[in-house]
Amino acid sequence: MTIPHYPSMDDANLARLARAEPDAFAELYRRHVQSVYRYHMAHTGNVHDAEDLTSQTFMSALEGIRSYRGAAPYIAWLMGIASRLRLRFFRRRATKPEVPLDAALHIPTPGLPTDRSAFQRLERTRILNALKQLSSDRAEALILCFFSELSFTEAASVLGKSEAAVKMLVSRGLQDLRARSSIALEMDYE
Amino acid sequence: MNKEIFDQLPADEQPVAAKLNSAADNMKVPQDFQWKLETQLMDAYQNKSQPAKGWFTKLIAPAAWTVAAVLGFVLLNWTIRSIIPSEQAPGSSSTAIPSETFESNVRQGKICEGPLALAHDFSVYVTNQDKTGFIELDESHAIGELRSFAWSADGQLAVVGNTTGTGNIFLWNPTDNSLSAVVPNSELGYLMDAAWSRDSKMLLAWSVQNNTVVYLMNSDGSAQKEIQLGMYISTAPQFAPGDQSIVLYGSNSSSFGLFEFSLDDSQIKTISNFVEDETGFAWSPDGSRLAYFEMDRDVGEARLVTEEFESGDKTTFATLPIPKGSGSSIPDVANLSWSQDGKFLVFEFGRSASDHAIYLANADGTGLVKLVDSAHAPTISSDGNCLAYISNKQAFLLDLKNTTATPLLIADLPAGRSTSDFRLDKLQWKP
Repeated sequence: MTIPHYPSMDDANLARLARAEPDAFAELYRRHVQSVYRYHMAHTGNVHDAEDLTSQTFMSALEGIRSYRGAAPYIAWLMGIASRLRLRFFRRRATKPEVPLDAALHIPTPGLPTDRSAFQRLERTRILNALKQLSSDRAEALILCFFSELSFTEAASVLGKSEAAVKMLVSRGLQDLRARSSIALEMDYE
Repeated sequence: MNKEIFDQLPADEQPVAAKLNSAADNMKVPQDFQWKLETQLMDAYQNKSQPAKGWFTKLIAPAAWTVAAVLGFVLLNWTIRSIIPSEQAPGSSSTAIPSETFESNVRQGKICEGPLALAHDFSVYVTNQDKTGFIELDESHAIGELRSFAWSADGQLAVVGNTTGTGNIFLWNPTDNSLSAVVPNSELGYLMDAAWSRDSKMLLAWSVQNNTVVYLMNSDGSAQKEIQLGMYISTAPQFAPGDQSIVLYGSNSSSFGLFEFSLDDSQIKTISNFVEDETGFAWSPDGSRLAYFEMDRDVGEARLVTEEFESGDKTTFATLPIPKGSGSSIPDVANLSWSQDGKFLVFEFGRSASDHAIYLANADGTGLVKLVDSAHAPTISSDGNCLAYISNKQAFLLDLKNTTATPLLIADLPAGRSTSDFRLDKLQWKP
């Protein structure tokens, strides 16, 4: 059995093969697990919830892979699933007490020395808290572009907006962060 | 870091963006979680592709199926007889063949003659002479995988094979069961499918790495040329009558659907944007009509449509219900094909391997019947006496003159080179 050079294939072709070939789906998973995980991590600030939502996202993608018809980039389709699951997660959690962000982030990243891990945790907390201060569409655009590393075109597809509108959201989001958040204060001292 | 976006930002926004990038870079997926989830996904994939094997399936389901089968046979017989009188069944002749001799007639080659080709789990096979088993092509596995095949109108079998990502088309020699490569020193990419021109003189193939191009060549591999389509291929293109254009399921810059591409002037014509399934279209044997399935998610129906090649007149003559709206629950249509006499169409319809059922439709629009449950890959023999299909990893022949008779087992499907989804299974009679 030969491997049909999955790494050299684009997502759309892989997605079509993935309807029938598990290895193609595995390749898509490996390509995009980081983007999905970071997206959920940026929204929940919680490793356990991020892992749980990442699992749900890929299970849903597997279930629905035949419904992907290639009209939008695969990553946009996948992040659309992630976005819907995230919204459902927060709707359900609205009735439950939320784990404080600081407490939730007290889960060390494997393989990192404790002091570095602590520093990263603090920085991450600061940024995620800052994102929470933004309007939801600006925060979502920033998370898709900077955490999930989507292009403007891909993010536009997820958000159902034009590319120009996404550029505007990102620009305004960055200005808001600079003007109103602790990130701006920190940069002023650097 | 998303450098592409970062570089487009004004200088005053870049420091904040750099902070976001830095935070993102520190959010690594825990390695053990990533591996564990990949394993879970692959397990889920396998379970998704196979029928359930729980206690219900093992104990209750067979009993229920037995009862349902008895009732189904009675009902089916009545239904078939009501819409297809036996003398009008596919490929009918004036002499009806008694059902008790169906097996002996098949085994002796008196009916349903000619080999039946099978693509399954990345191997290709043909039936033996008495149709009691399958003979593997490239038995030594010199070619990495055999993905698909295509019969020409004059009975040549072209097989699509790939080795370490490089594909070729191979012609089958039935006298010594050998395969010979059509393209010398092939540099074609990973090939998906091939198709014969209607005059059996040309072959067409396409590669998944470059799916905006079709490779056209003579059947001996000469005069190979690449043709840029300006659109993306998603499934095996087929030559249209006259061999001057091809019909394919694919996408242009704005939409998916069924398209006709002119090989003369590269013009693209949209046939239907409602077509969603790769093998949900087929030319009638005389080339006068194209049949295809439209999936209208707004209305909630799958429509079997035939279109006259010359006039473009469309006729919808059968519909099946589908759930409204988008989503994974939409069933798919596959392996739509015509009987040789052009009077009948056969196809499979369903969501999963156990849910797919085989349907037979009169091509004049007067009837549609479900023939076999939990089955896929249907194909009608050229004499119209047999319907071959796969069910529960076995290949069967159904007597189309007596559809209530117990189907004849050809053989268990052989173990191929690597497990694949049932949707890649393909059965086709030699024309």
